[in-house]
Amino acid sequence: MIPTDPQDRDILVGEYVLGTLDARTAAELEAALPGDAALRAALHAWEARLAPLMVLAGPEAPPPDLWDRIEAALPGPARPAPAPKRRGWLDPWRGWAIGASAVAAGLAALIVIRPAPEPPRLMTVLLTQRDQPAWVVEADPGGQLRLASLNPRRLEEGRVMQLWGLPPGATVPTSLGLIPPEGRLTVSTGGLRPEPGMLIEISLEPPGGSPTGRPTGPVLFIGQLTAAGAS
Amino acid sequence: MKAEAPAAALLAEIARGDRAALRALYEQQATRLFGIAQAILRDREAAADAMQDAFLRISQRAAQFDPARGEAGAWLGAVARHAALDLARTRGRELPTDDPALGDTVVAPEALERVAADAEGRRLHDCLSALDEKNRKGILLAFVHGLSHAQVAARLDLPLGTVKAWIRRGLLQLRECLT
Repeated sequence: MIPTDPQDRDILVGEYVLGTLDARTAAELEAALPGDAALRAALHAWEARLAPLMVLAGPEAPPPDLWDRIEAALPGPARPAPAPKRRGWLDPWRGWAIGASAVAAGLAALIVIRPAPEPPRLMTVLLTQRDQPAWVVEADPGGQLRLASLNPRRLEEGRVMQLWGLPPGATVPTSLGLIPPEGRLTVSTGGLRPEPGMLIEISLEPPGGSPTGRPTGPVLFIGQLTAAGAS
Repeated sequence: MKAEAPAAALLAEIARGDRAALRALYEQQATRLFGIAQAILRDREAAADAMQDAFLRISQRAAQFDPARGEAGAWLGAVARHAALDLARTRGRELPTDDPALGDTVVAPEALERVAADAEGRRLHDCLSALDEKNRKGILLAFVHGLSHAQVAARLDLPLGTVKAWIRRGLLQLRECLT
């Protein structure tokens, strides 16, 4: 029974927030909340009073596969955000310190829409030297790599962009081809197996591509492939 | 707090069904929230279950978060705590409590200093300091480690009835002190 006396009610809510109510009383209180604004107000007040105590539980890294479990348990498939929301989901990049790999994995959920999942996919967002997202790269371990520009721009005359891959441990990047002006490219990576940790970069080169087989111009964009949990 | 702004904005995106925002929020908060759940459950597998439940709740209830009523970090922490407490209750609190050092760091005097990180924490710190020691310890052990009345009683070597009454009295005093 939820008491009627205001003081008893308030202390009951305090005990709920503290965590000392038994399962039955806690469930009763939770059931009463939606129809009882005063009870909800008491709950918010107690949560606010005791919230600073949460710092006493030290941070601890969760198991690495936890996000995958969470996502698998979410109802419905991951779906792309509708078009008007693009600005919204790009907001995190503007001044927020969120790791590019998290962004890349998030983008995977938005961009990759294929009927048959082909796990595990690899993703990265190539950033400019000022950490602005510029390209999305998606690869599968079978060796298909897709590249799309987020904000195509015109290059100066007489220059092309060349795509490179550098697997973990390798010292010399391998060319993955020249990027056509429209800013989209699907290539087979040949002998280069896409894997997590592989660096993807785009350099500025003379027409026809690098004459030496290595980047000769400045590296304009760079990113690192990570496994995308989305499906 | 600067770190609060992104979480609040992400919650607004999550409320509109944005799965990428949920992922970004996870990346940002998982270590802190997992720590909160693990302090209550002391079992990484159980804490992972609680986190899964917490993120389902976050995805469903993000629209209920009201920035006018408090910080996003506190709201998220509360969701994670209650998910962990629910799990602790359904498992009959059959969770490891036999560690004789359990809760020692939480009730240590220097721990309270960490609570006083900002203005609200400072007020809570001062009010907790004014409580009788066993009232204070009971409240800290219950909040951080999810200990039941019986477990707090065993831990502090007090009769069960006494602990219930003391915790209630401690909450009353806290509420008055924080008014």
